[in-house]
Amino acid sequence: MDTIFRGAIIYIFLLIIFRISGKRTLYDATLFDFVLLLIIAETTQQALLGDDFSIVNGLLLIITLIFMDICLSLIKQKFKSFGKVVDGTSLILLDNGKLLTERMKKERVDEGDILESARALHGLEHLSQIKYAILEKDGKITIIPKEKAS
Amino acid sequence: MNKHNGELEIDEDAPFEKRFWTVQRIGWLIMLLVILAAMFGFTGRGGLSGINKIKKASQSQSLVLEYDRFQRYQVSDKLTVKLQQLQTTAPTITFSKVFYEKIRVEQVVPQPEKVEINANEITYTFSISQPSGDVIFYTKPMHAGSLEVMVKGPNNERVPISMFVYP
Repeated sequence: MDTIFRGAIIYIFLLIIFRISGKRTLYDATLFDFVLLLIIAETTQQALLGDDFSIVNGLLLIITLIFMDICLSLIKQKFKSFGKVVDGTSLILLDNGKLLTERMKKERVDEGDILESARALHGLEHLSQIKYAILEKDGKITIIPKEKAS
Repeated sequence: MNKHNGELEIDEDAPFEKRFWTVQRIGWLIMLLVILAAMFGFTGRGGLSGINKIKKASQSQSLVLEYDRFQRYQVSDKLTVKLQQLQTTAPTITFSKVFYEKIRVEQVVPQPEKVEINANEITYTFSISQPSGDVIFYTKPMHAGSLEVMVKGPNNERVPISMFVYP
Protein backbone atom coordinates (compact mmCIF):
# COMPACT_ATOMS: atom_id res chain seq x y z
CA MET A 1 0.00 0.00 0.00
CA ASP A 2 2.91 2.28 0.87
CA THR A 3 4.29 1.83 -2.66
CA ILE A 4 1.03 2.90 -4.29
CA PHE A 5 0.85 6.07 -2.18
CA ARG A 6 4.48 6.87 -2.92
CA GLY A 7 3.93 6.42 -6.66
CA ALA A 8 0.75 8.50 -6.69
CA ILE A 9 2.22 11.34 -4.60
CA ILE A 10 5.42 11.56 -6.64
CA TYR A 11 3.45 11.43 -9.92
CA ILE A 12 1.12 14.27 -8.88
CA PHE A 13 3.99 16.27 -7.38
CA LEU A 14 6.10 16.05 -10.54
CA LEU A 15 3.09 16.94 -12.66
CA ILE A 16 2.42 20.09 -10.60
CA ILE A 17 6.06 21.13 -10.32
CA PHE A 18 6.75 20.81 -14.05
CA ARG A 19 3.51 22.57 -14.91
CA ILE A 20 4.39 25.45 -12.60
CA SER A 21 7.97 25.64 -13.86
CA GLY A 22 6.70 26.54 -17.32
CA LYS A 23 6.52 25.07 -20.79
CA ARG A 24 10.13 25.74 -21.68
CA THR A 25 11.77 24.18 -18.61
CA LEU A 26 12.51 20.74 -19.93
CA TYR A 27 11.87 21.10 -23.64
CA ASP A 28 15.29 21.79 -25.07
CA ALA A 29 17.85 19.51 -23.56
CA THR A 30 20.60 22.07 -23.09
CA LEU A 31 23.46 21.07 -20.83
CA PHE A 32 21.72 22.44 -17.72
CA ASP A 33 18.38 20.82 -18.52
CA PHE A 34 20.16 17.53 -19.10
CA VAL A 35 21.84 17.73 -15.69
CA LEU A 36 18.50 18.72 -14.11
CA LEU A 37 16.77 15.77 -15.74
CA LEU A 38 19.44 13.34 -14.57
CA ILE A 39 19.30 14.59 -10.98
CA ILE A 40 15.50 14.60 -10.84
CA ALA A 41 15.40 11.06 -12.27
CA GLU A 42 17.85 9.81 -9.68
CA THR A 43 16.10 11.57 -6.77
CA THR A 44 12.70 10.37 -7.90
CA GLN A 45 13.92 6.80 -8.18
CA GLN A 46 15.09 6.82 -4.56
CA ALA A 47 11.92 8.50 -3.30
CA LEU A 48 9.81 5.99 -5.22
CA LEU A 49 11.59 2.80 -4.21
CA GLY A 50 12.82 3.72 -0.73
CA ASP A 51 14.83 0.78 0.54
CA ASP A 52 12.58 -1.85 -0.98
CA PHE A 53 14.27 -3.20 -4.09
CA SER A 54 12.01 -6.22 -4.50
CA ILE A 55 10.47 -7.09 -7.87
CA VAL A 56 6.95 -6.82 -6.40
CA ASN A 57 7.65 -3.23 -5.36
CA GLY A 58 8.98 -2.33 -8.81
CA LEU A 59 6.05 -3.97 -10.59
CA LEU A 60 3.52 -2.31 -8.26
CA LEU A 61 5.07 1.07 -8.93
CA ILE A 62 5.01 0.63 -12.70
CA ILE A 63 1.36 -0.45 -12.59
CA THR A 64 0.47 2.50 -10.33
CA LEU A 65 2.20 5.05 -12.55
CA ILE A 66 0.74 3.71 -15.80
CA PHE A 67 -2.73 3.42 -14.27
CA MET A 68 -2.52 7.03 -13.07
CA ASP A 69 -1.46 8.11 -16.54
CA ILE A 70 -4.44 6.30 -18.07
CA CYS A 71 -6.80 7.88 -15.53
CA LEU A 72 -5.39 11.32 -16.22
CA SER A 73 -5.83 10.96 -19.97
CA LEU A 74 -9.42 9.72 -19.47
CA ILE A 75 -10.24 12.70 -17.23
CA LYS A 76 -8.63 15.07 -19.74
CA GLN A 77 -10.73 13.55 -22.51
CA LYS A 78 -13.94 13.87 -20.50
CA PHE A 79 -13.31 17.35 -19.09
CA LYS A 80 -11.61 19.61 -21.61
CA SER A 81 -11.05 22.37 -19.07
CA PHE A 82 -9.09 19.94 -16.87
CA GLY A 83 -6.91 19.14 -19.89
CA LYS A 84 -6.28 22.84 -20.30
CA VAL A 85 -5.13 23.13 -16.69
CA VAL A 86 -2.86 20.08 -16.95
CA ASP A 87 -1.41 20.67 -20.42
CA GLY A 88 -1.97 24.39 -21.02
CA THR A 89 -2.82 25.72 -24.47
CA SER A 90 -0.81 26.78 -27.50
CA LEU A 91 0.22 30.42 -27.50
CA ILE A 92 1.02 32.71 -30.43
CA LEU A 93 4.32 34.51 -29.84
CA LEU A 94 4.72 36.15 -33.24
CA ASP A 95 1.52 37.28 -34.87
CA ASN A 96 1.59 38.29 -38.53
CA GLY A 97 5.23 39.30 -38.33
CA LYS A 98 4.79 41.17 -35.03
CA LEU A 99 6.55 39.94 -31.89
CA LEU A 100 4.29 39.69 -28.83
CA THR A 101 6.99 40.64 -26.34
CA GLU A 102 4.93 40.45 -23.14
CA ARG A 103 3.96 36.86 -23.87
CA MET A 104 7.56 36.02 -24.78
CA LYS A 105 8.83 37.51 -21.54
CA LYS A 106 6.29 35.63 -19.43
CA GLU A 107 7.09 32.33 -21.17
CA ARG A 108 10.85 32.98 -21.03
CA VAL A 109 11.30 32.84 -24.81
CA ASP A 110 13.46 35.29 -26.74
CA GLU A 111 13.94 36.17 -30.41
CA GLY A 112 16.89 33.79 -30.56
CA ASP A 113 14.66 30.82 -29.64
CA ILE A 114 12.16 31.73 -32.37
CA LEU A 115 14.95 32.15 -34.94
CA GLU A 116 16.47 28.84 -33.87
CA SER A 117 13.19 27.05 -34.55
CA ALA A 118 12.80 28.96 -37.83
CA ARG A 119 16.23 27.81 -38.97
CA ALA A 120 15.75 24.23 -37.82
CA LEU A 121 12.25 23.73 -39.22
CA HIS A 122 12.25 25.85 -42.38
CA GLY A 123 15.80 27.12 -42.96
CA LEU A 124 14.61 30.73 -42.52
CA GLU A 125 17.11 33.53 -42.02
CA HIS A 126 15.12 36.53 -40.74
CA LEU A 127 12.24 37.19 -38.38
CA SER A 128 10.55 39.04 -41.25
CA GLN A 129 10.14 35.72 -43.07
CA ILE A 130 7.95 34.34 -40.25
CA LYS A 131 4.20 34.81 -40.23
CA TYR A 132 3.35 32.97 -37.03
CA ALA A 133 5.51 31.55 -34.25
CA ILE A 134 3.56 29.40 -31.80
CA LEU A 135 4.65 28.09 -28.43
CA GLU A 136 3.09 24.65 -28.28
CA LYS A 137 1.87 22.85 -25.15
CA ASP A 138 5.06 20.78 -24.91
CA GLY A 139 7.30 23.87 -25.03
CA LYS A 140 8.30 23.45 -28.68
CA ILE A 141 8.12 26.53 -30.94
CA THR A 142 6.51 25.90 -34.31
CA ILE A 143 6.92 28.29 -37.20
CA ILE A 144 4.65 29.17 -40.10
CA PRO A 145 6.64 31.03 -42.76
CA LYS A 146 5.12 33.98 -44.63
CA GLU A 147 5.15 32.43 -48.10
CA LYS A 148 3.43 29.24 -46.96
CA ALA A 149 0.69 31.00 -44.99
CA SER A 150 -0.25 33.33 -47.83
CA MET B 1 -11.25 25.03 -32.98
CA ASN B 2 -10.76 28.80 -33.03
CA LYS B 3 -9.51 30.55 -36.13
CA HIS B 4 -6.93 33.23 -35.52
CA ASN B 5 -7.03 36.07 -38.09
CA GLY B 6 -9.51 33.89 -39.96
CA GLU B 7 -6.78 31.51 -41.13
CA LEU B 8 -4.82 29.84 -38.33
CA GLU B 9 -6.69 27.07 -36.56
CA ILE B 10 -5.36 27.02 -33.03
CA ASP B 11 -6.59 26.04 -29.56
CA GLU B 12 -5.14 29.20 -28.04
CA ASP B 13 -6.72 30.60 -24.88
CA ALA B 14 -4.73 33.74 -24.08
CA PRO B 15 -6.86 34.85 -21.07
CA PHE B 16 -6.39 31.39 -19.51
CA GLU B 17 -2.63 31.52 -20.11
CA LYS B 18 -2.50 35.01 -18.55
CA ARG B 19 -4.27 33.72 -15.45
CA PHE B 20 -1.92 30.75 -15.38
CA TRP B 21 1.16 33.01 -15.46
CA THR B 22 -0.03 34.43 -12.12
CA VAL B 23 -0.47 30.89 -10.74
CA GLN B 24 3.02 30.05 -12.02
CA ARG B 25 4.59 33.05 -10.25
CA ILE B 26 2.82 32.11 -7.03
CA GLY B 27 4.18 28.57 -7.49
CA TRP B 28 7.72 29.94 -7.90
CA LEU B 29 7.30 31.97 -4.72
CA ILE B 30 6.13 28.85 -2.85
CA MET B 31 9.22 26.98 -4.12
CA LEU B 32 11.43 29.78 -2.78
CA LEU B 33 9.65 29.70 0.58
CA VAL B 34 10.09 25.90 0.80
CA ILE B 35 13.82 26.25 0.10
CA LEU B 36 14.18 29.01 2.71
CA ALA B 37 12.19 26.97 5.25
CA ALA B 38 14.46 23.98 4.58
CA MET B 39 17.56 26.16 5.08
CA PHE B 40 16.23 27.37 8.41
CA GLY B 41 15.64 23.76 9.44
CA PHE B 42 11.86 23.42 9.18
CA THR B 43 12.19 20.24 7.13
CA GLY B 44 14.68 18.55 9.43
CA ARG B 45 18.34 17.53 9.10
CA GLY B 46 20.33 20.58 10.09
CA GLY B 47 19.23 24.18 10.16
CA LEU B 48 19.25 26.75 12.93
CA SER B 49 19.29 25.82 16.57
CA GLY B 50 16.00 26.69 18.21
CA ILE B 51 14.09 25.78 15.06
CA ASN B 52 15.25 22.22 14.46
CA LYS B 53 18.06 21.62 16.95
CA ILE B 54 16.36 21.71 20.33
CA LYS B 55 17.94 21.72 23.78
CA LYS B 56 15.62 21.12 26.70
CA ALA B 57 16.53 20.80 30.35
CA SER B 58 14.79 19.92 33.57
CA GLN B 59 14.39 22.66 36.16
CA SER B 60 17.42 21.51 38.15
CA GLN B 61 19.50 21.21 34.95
CA SER B 62 20.35 17.64 35.94
CA LEU B 63 18.71 16.26 32.79
CA VAL B 64 19.44 17.95 29.46
CA LEU B 65 18.08 16.65 26.16
CA GLU B 66 19.34 17.53 22.69
CA TYR B 67 17.31 16.39 19.72
CA ASP B 68 15.94 17.36 16.31
CA ARG B 69 12.37 18.64 16.37
CA PHE B 70 11.80 17.80 12.70
CA GLN B 71 12.69 14.29 11.66
CA ARG B 72 11.98 12.12 8.64
CA TYR B 73 10.31 8.75 8.37
CA GLN B 74 12.82 5.90 8.66
CA VAL B 75 15.80 8.26 8.59
CA SER B 76 18.37 7.86 11.36
CA ASP B 77 18.67 10.62 13.94
CA LYS B 78 19.97 10.90 17.46
CA LEU B 79 18.86 12.01 20.89
CA THR B 80 21.55 13.05 23.35
CA VAL B 81 20.76 12.84 27.05
CA LYS B 82 23.15 14.73 29.33
CA LEU B 83 23.02 13.63 32.95
CA GLN B 84 24.46 15.99 35.54
CA GLN B 85 24.69 16.10 39.34
CA LEU B 86 24.35 12.33 39.49
CA GLN B 87 23.79 10.90 42.94
CA THR B 88 23.98 7.28 41.87
CA THR B 89 26.34 5.16 39.78
CA ALA B 90 23.38 3.38 38.20
CA PRO B 91 21.28 6.20 36.77
CA THR B 92 18.12 5.42 34.86
CA ILE B 93 16.49 7.11 31.89
CA THR B 94 12.84 6.34 31.29
CA PHE B 95 10.83 7.05 28.16
CA SER B 96 7.07 6.88 27.65
CA LYS B 97 5.48 4.15 25.50
CA VAL B 98 5.74 6.13 22.23
CA PHE B 99 9.53 5.82 22.37
CA TYR B 100 9.51 2.06 21.90
CA GLU B 101 6.30 1.83 19.90
CA LYS B 102 6.95 4.40 17.19
CA ILE B 103 10.72 4.83 17.25
CA ARG B 104 13.30 2.15 16.63
CA VAL B 105 16.32 2.57 18.88
CA GLU B 106 19.20 1.35 16.74
CA GLN B 107 22.02 1.82 19.21
CA VAL B 108 22.60 3.24 22.67
CA VAL B 109 26.04 4.62 23.57
CA PRO B 110 27.21 3.71 26.19
CA GLN B 111 25.43 0.37 26.27
CA PRO B 112 22.89 0.15 29.08
CA GLU B 113 23.38 -2.35 31.89
CA LYS B 114 19.70 -3.22 31.87
CA VAL B 115 16.61 -2.43 29.81
CA GLU B 116 13.17 -2.92 31.30
CA ILE B 117 9.90 -2.51 29.56
CA ASN B 118 6.38 -2.35 30.90
CA ALA B 119 2.97 -1.36 29.55
CA ASN B 120 3.66 2.38 29.67
CA GLU B 121 7.40 2.91 29.81
CA ILE B 122 10.86 1.70 28.86
CA THR B 123 13.67 2.18 31.37
CA TYR B 124 17.39 2.08 30.57
CA THR B 125 19.83 1.64 33.46
CA PHE B 126 23.44 2.68 32.93
CA SER B 127 26.65 2.30 34.85
CA ILE B 128 28.30 5.72 35.16
CA SER B 129 31.03 6.26 37.74
CA GLN B 130 31.37 10.03 37.30
CA PRO B 131 28.91 12.69 38.51
CA SER B 132 27.93 13.50 34.95
CA GLY B 133 27.73 11.65 31.67
CA ASP B 134 26.23 11.69 28.19
CA VAL B 135 24.08 8.99 26.70
CA ILE B 136 23.36 8.95 22.97
CA PHE B 137 20.33 7.16 21.53
CA TYR B 138 20.60 6.55 17.80
CA THR B 139 17.01 6.46 16.66
CA LYS B 140 14.92 5.90 13.56
CA PRO B 141 11.27 7.04 13.58
CA MET B 142 8.91 4.34 12.31
CA HIS B 143 5.82 6.55 12.31
CA ALA B 144 5.05 9.74 10.39
CA GLY B 145 3.32 12.59 12.18
CA SER B 146 3.81 14.21 15.56
CA LEU B 147 5.42 12.28 18.40
CA GLU B 148 5.22 13.29 22.05
CA VAL B 149 7.64 11.54 24.38
CA MET B 150 8.01 12.02 28.13
CA VAL B 151 11.58 11.54 29.37
CA LYS B 152 12.24 10.87 33.03
CA GLY B 153 15.71 11.25 34.55
CA PRO B 154 17.37 9.50 37.52
CA ASN B 155 15.96 12.01 40.02
CA ASN B 156 12.46 11.57 38.62
CA GLU B 157 12.58 14.93 36.85
CA ARG B 158 10.42 14.96 33.74
CA VAL B 159 11.10 16.63 30.41
CA PRO B 160 8.53 16.31 27.62
CA ILE B 161 9.82 16.37 24.06
CA SER B 162 7.79 16.75 20.90
CA MET B 163 8.95 15.90 17.41
CA PHE B 164 7.38 15.97 14.00
CA VAL B 165 8.22 13.19 11.58
CA TYR B 166 7.84 13.96 7.86
CA PRO B 167 6.63 11.06 5.74
